[in-house]
Amino acid sequence: MIVGERKPLLELKGFIEDYHKVLIVGCGTCATVCFAGGESEVEVVGSALRIAFLREGKEREILEDCVTRQCEPEFVEKVVQRVKEEGIEAVLSLACGVGVNFVAGQLEDVPVFPGINTKFFGATVEPGVWVEMCAGCGNCMLHLTGGICPVARCSKSILNGPCGGSSDGKCEISPDVDCAWVLIVERMKKLNTLEHLSQILEPRDWSTSRHGGPRRVVHEELKPVETGNEQE
Amino acid sequence: MRVDSAAEQQVDAASCVAACPVQTDTRLYVELITQGKYEDALELLLKANPFSSVCGRICHHPCEQKCRRNRVDAPVGLRLLKRFIMESTVDYRLSRRERVEATRSERIAIIGSGPGGLTAAHDLAEMGFAVVVYEKWDTPGGMLGTAIPRYRLPYEVLKEDIDDVLSLGVELQTGCEIGRDLQIDDLRDQGFAAILIATGLPESRTLGVPGIDSGGVLLAIPFLRAVGLGDAPSLGERVVVIGGGNVAFDVARCARRLGAEKVTLVSLESQQEMPAWEWEMEEALQEEVEISYSWGPKAVFSEDGVVRGIEMKKCTAVFDDTGRFNPRFDEGDVSTLLADSIILAIGQRGDLTCIAGSAVKASGDRLEFDPETLATTEPGIFACGEVVTGPGAAVEAVREGHRAARAILHYLDTGELLKQPVTEPPSLGDIPLDIAEKIKRREPIIPELVPAEKRVRDFSEIERGFTEAEALAEAKRCLACTTGALADEEKCAACLTCVRICPFGVAQVERTAVMPQEQCQACGLCAAECPAAAIALKRFGTNRMREEIGNIFPRMERGEDLQPLIVSYCCLFEVTSRKLVRAEPSAAAETGVARVMVPCVARLSVVDILAPFELGADGVVIISCTEGDCLYPTAEERLSARVQKAKGVLDEIGLGGERIDHWRTEGSAEVSWSAFWEISKRKLAALDGMSPAGMEVGT
Repeated sequence: MIVGERKPLLELKGFIEDYHKVLIVGCGTCATVCFAGGESEVEVVGSALRIAFLREGKEREILEDCVTRQCEPEFVEKVVQRVKEEGIEAVLSLACGVGVNFVAGQLEDVPVFPGINTKFFGATVEPGVWVEMCAGCGNCMLHLTGGICPVARCSKSILNGPCGGSSDGKCEISPDVDCAWVLIVERMKKLNTLEHLSQILEPRDWSTSRHGGPRRVVHEELKPVETGNEQE
Repeated sequence: MRVDSAAEQQVDAASCVAACPVQTDTRLYVELITQGKYEDALELLLKANPFSSVCGRICHHPCEQKCRRNRVDAPVGLRLLKRFIMESTVDYRLSRRERVEATRSERIAIIGSGPGGLTAAHDLAEMGFAVVVYEKWDTPGGMLGTAIPRYRLPYEVLKEDIDDVLSLGVELQTGCEIGRDLQIDDLRDQGFAAILIATGLPESRTLGVPGIDSGGVLLAIPFLRAVGLGDAPSLGERVVVIGGGNVAFDVARCARRLGAEKVTLVSLESQQEMPAWEWEMEEALQEEVEISYSWGPKAVFSEDGVVRGIEMKKCTAVFDDTGRFNPRFDEGDVSTLLADSIILAIGQRGDLTCIAGSAVKASGDRLEFDPETLATTEPGIFACGEVVTGPGAAVEAVREGHRAARAILHYLDTGELLKQPVTEPPSLGDIPLDIAEKIKRREPIIPELVPAEKRVRDFSEIERGFTEAEALAEAKRCLACTTGALADEEKCAACLTCVRICPFGVAQVERTAVMPQEQCQACGLCAAECPAAAIALKRFGTNRMREEIGNIFPRMERGEDLQPLIVSYCCLFEVTSRKLVRAEPSAAAETGVARVMVPCVARLSVVDILAPFELGADGVVIISCTEGDCLYPTAEERLSARVQKAKGVLDEIGLGGERIDHWRTEGSAEVSWSAFWEISKRKLAALDGMSPAGMEVGT
């Protein structure tokens, strides 16, 4: 899942200060599950902003909504409709950056502000704790590292670790961060594949990652098919 | 807006409701008590059962027998809670009486003024019919009025119910026995469009043993009736009561009250087979009634025509292999009891005098009758209650009265008979054992009966009702079955938060979250934490907090003394009087404290805590139950964490988290809450530069 964290409330307030009618839109999938931007958080942010404006004596209309996913045209469509019909001046999106981009693209002339900081692709390691596990590099190598990603989980993303900063299984950047390479070694011992690590991994072609520019995935079979009934 | 669709969700009935013969919404009246809405509870009770005062005293309470708390500790005292409602609303009940004008041209005659006949009369009068009830005795009420001893059911209690029915405009003719003073055919001639026979089982059965005709051998029903009228026969010192049912115990206990020193109840049944209610037996034993199990009467012996004792033979089996009543005896195993009186309480039978001279058919002492349509063999003549069903409980007679009214209405509307099978609605059943283990034990409140040595002195009522504080405390024990959480599958993100948070291990996520109703304890913790706002609650819905403050706040204006405005969310379960439960908007304006009573404040979400500030409140005061006293495991910790989060939000926007106070009740609500409000108000006044002078928070 994509994990994010709500931005500080005063930052959000600053975004929308000059607009009188603002819609806060939550996202019902990843942002909900990581407690950053689900319907409940929309309510909290809405409430907090209304209280803040009330205290300053500013009249603001803060509306609330939540859609299943802000990264799908069909779901976003109803937000677009609502914004147009109700004359909403600005949107505060509590989705990940994808949702903000996507809604902004659909709305075009109405500003969309990011309500959360999108952090990483991660997993729930215990209730209330999410940890980064994938960097979306476009060329997965987890089969070589015992299912533990050195790109995402090693601070230096090094492919032949550990480095000299590893101490007692922890990374030198923080005692809270495990050294990914220690994890990899321990896991590969259990898998009885430790000898694979004697092979040095070659430098990678990062063009599959961000270095190759914006990426896209296409499934030709899912593209719209003309029915022949379309109007000219 | 959150979903509150759970309110419309159809679920199986709570087990207590399903078990009630008239399906009184037991669970709901308990909830209404906790909300201090005693008058609403009364309306609910009377709608289901016009004999609610009676049932508050003597109902055999199948609701309690099926109460799902049985698997945790002991059932909720539902009968006494019902009695509490009836006793708390006497004046209101009088004020709501209103004659119903007849809107139908047809008149209906009802023979018998017991709970069945009068319930039918009640319903038919409300349907707009003119109803006349004929009663052969001088007083109405049937067995309730004549056979139930006053120490269990004071006559004035019965009269509350009867007068209520009569106040609708039902005409009562006492001292008029149909079949003797008037014939059924006369009623027809008088133009009654329908006739209901509800004459019950007013006659005691007797025995065919030698000596039974001796002086001093009495029958239970005439004896009880005489006792009720204050006209009891002299019994002597030694009384033997024959029978093992509830009537036998009534007789034995009356005999003790009449001064009999030694009362022995002789039953065919063994101790395990006794048909009387367990509590009847216990109370009789406390009153020093002796019980001789497994004996049958062989002969009554007398001297100069006056009873001197009874010879009994051992009963070896009461029922045969097919379960039918077919007692067998060991004639060689005999025993003798000396007696100055013997009272037979071995069962009752109908009195079919009323059909004399009419075409209504009977076989033996039973009317010919269709149990589904309640029709007799004659068109327009119906029958209900014990006269056709055999012995039953008062509340069952009420059910039959309701059915009879529906049967008659349908017949008069269509000319057809209405089939009404008696079915028990689907119920939640028992609580699963693994859930029962996780529920906090809480001892029931059982008012002590008058001590046995005192209660045998007269016929005063032996049981007292709940005080208000006791009723509120006992109502808190209700598990609120069927009012649990419901997840909206459209919104649920399957995040598993509910599964991780549920203190009872109820919530599950399959494709989306589900909280099986037969397991959910309605604590509301999942709804408060759900990030998708996808969980609705039936009891005190998720939007209720905001609705309640919305109702109070528009009327709250700052007075000239500029006192801080506070919304106080309070644990509903800590109050001992409804004065504190019901928040009056005017009181809020006066004191600056608007109370919202919540059934467990642990269900407050972060946004619930913030919402009052949006409406202009200066502070929020949350008051939970006494530390460690919450009904729900982990709820106190969860609430504390949410309060911290809400404070964090206020800190972030610069308003300051110190505007939210979280207190725990100390001692009682009445003692501690005012002090908490006072402290919080002074703090807020200081924060906002207001004058704390003159602030007094009343309750």
